[in-house]
Amino acid sequence: MIEIQGLRKSFGPVEAVRDVSFRAEDGTVVGLLGPNGAGKTTTLRMLSGLMRPDAGTIRVDGADVVADPIGAQRHMGLLPDSRGLYPRLTPREHIEYFGRLHGIDGKQLAGRTDGLLSRLGLETLAARRVEGFSQGERTKVALARALVHQPRNIILDEPTNGLDVMSTRAMRELIRMLRADGCCVVFSSHIMQEVSALCDRIVVIAQGTVVAEGTPDELRRQTGRENLEDAFVALAGLETEGVL
Amino acid sequence: MNGLAHLLTVLKKELMDGARDRRSIRSLLFGAIMTPLIFGVMFTVVANRERDAKDLKLPVAGIEYAPALADWLRQQTGVTITRAPADPMAAVRERKEDVVVIIDKDFAKDMARGVPAPVKLVADMTRNESRPKVTRVRNLINSYSTEIASLRLVARGVAPVVARPLAIEDVEVSSAQQRLGQLLSILPLLLVMAGLTGGLQIGIDSTAGERERGSLEPLLLSPVPRLALAAGKWLAASTFACASVLFSMVLTVNVLRRVPWQDLGIRFRVTDGELMSLLALELPLALFLSAVVMFVSTFARSFKEAQSYIGLLIFVPMLPGIVSTMVPLSGRPWMAPIPVLGQYALAADVLGGKPPGVAYYIAAGVAVLAAAGVLVILAARLLRQEKVIFGR
Repeated sequence: MIEIQGLRKSFGPVEAVRDVSFRAEDGTVVGLLGPNGAGKTTTLRMLSGLMRPDAGTIRVDGADVVADPIGAQRHMGLLPDSRGLYPRLTPREHIEYFGRLHGIDGKQLAGRTDGLLSRLGLETLAARRVEGFSQGERTKVALARALVHQPRNIILDEPTNGLDVMSTRAMRELIRMLRADGCCVVFSSHIMQEVSALCDRIVVIAQGTVVAEGTPDELRRQTGRENLEDAFVALAGLETEGVL
Repeated sequence: MNGLAHLLTVLKKELMDGARDRRSIRSLLFGAIMTPLIFGVMFTVVANRERDAKDLKLPVAGIEYAPALADWLRQQTGVTITRAPADPMAAVRERKEDVVVIIDKDFAKDMARGVPAPVKLVADMTRNESRPKVTRVRNLINSYSTEIASLRLVARGVAPVVARPLAIEDVEVSSAQQRLGQLLSILPLLLVMAGLTGGLQIGIDSTAGERERGSLEPLLLSPVPRLALAAGKWLAASTFACASVLFSMVLTVNVLRRVPWQDLGIRFRVTDGELMSLLALELPLALFLSAVVMFVSTFARSFKEAQSYIGLLIFVPMLPGIVSTMVPLSGRPWMAPIPVLGQYALAADVLGGKPPGVAYYIAAGVAVLAAAGVLVILAARLLRQEKVIFGR
């Protein structure tokens, strides 16, 4: 379970995140929805413990991320904005390296590695160096690496960015599977279909602030728009700003 | 899981990654081969030069005017008289000849009259490489002159010693040995360069490269103590640097052992003890230099920026090396605990045949390792900064 309260972060004069609070329960998928530059990635970076918030609290399964980031990271698996792989290593080596860093070794590590490779459909690529992999294959390797320690809280930054139709479907399938396993999944996106197709709850962020939160139905009702995309545009304040 | 296990995991991964990286391997090999190559070329050139001076091919213009001098020259060991070029000045200026002797057409007449007969020695004294040859030619002509003078005195019933009120005696302490010392003084500098270049690529790739690829963020999301991470990467770069120094030393010593020293009139031998002493100095230094590379690359924004920082930084360890070729650092073991400078001073002593005591090695080793430790800790600190993790 992820609980975020009153998060704030500035970079010099720029207030990237002004006031973000939300909860993500176990066994649910929460979508962080917002236009580019709304503060989604900054929020997720603070959630991951690599960035210190100026104010606010973050708890992951009760662990305080700000006070003990390394302790909290054990409960989290994160697919960051930058998928960053080691071009000269194979998918198997990526998974094993991160497994070992999480203190998993021996038979347990081999078992989990095989499990992840087959679950993500990477078996045939397992022994090939990742340089030259497609965007979708890279995302899968990055995801496998993030899941090797079997985290109960999974955070995905724009998971379908740059993926083709088939890879996008596979990703959605995986997110549903993780939810079925009882994991808490938070992912950010600016793509409406994705959020509406997957999320139990949606948190709409605009200009660093949570402007709405609820189930897709609740948001439709709140804005009085039938179409979720219209609801989003209304909530994000894009109409009034004349962006569209 | 403790920090040591994390460190070993990181070290193992970086070594595997580095071994697969052509650039890292190339930089290791470059560091290893540079020194023996430079030494091989250097000593071949020196040996050739000495041989040139010994087997003197001397172009003499107007040899027909001085048949007696010609005969005398031909009797000297190793001297062959060759045809002089049409324009001796131009030939020397254009480096076709090192030295040309010109005998005036009035030579015989002047000799007969007993007035100084002009002999021109055409040489370019700015050219170091022709200097031994020019000196030899000058000495030859001086000897001939002295011999003729003695004969003239004898003919006049005067003992030749009358004309030699002083007897200059050259007491050669170690001209050749000293020249060798000069040549060898570049060795510590080259070993420092080997230590720096050997781990350079892997050091940059595992830090600045890691961030540039975007793999630093995921890496820092795993619960690894930052110090274990920095230390693992440092040791990986150090492994490459030490391998480079080791290869470099062994190859260089083999080159030095193959040089025909006796032909050069030098007594010289690199003992295994000296080799071990140099390794005891240079291996800890390689660890320090790798720490410098790693710290700078962690700080740098990109691979390219790291490369340009280190391109500038290379001159720092080179400075004492360059200074030492002018002002010998040997015999100053108090420099031992100063990183880089200490290694130069102690290495100069080892090569000069005055090995310093064990305490100095320990002082030098402890000093560089402590400095390396500080740099690794600072690099680990950098890895906690948002600006460093996400770029600036």
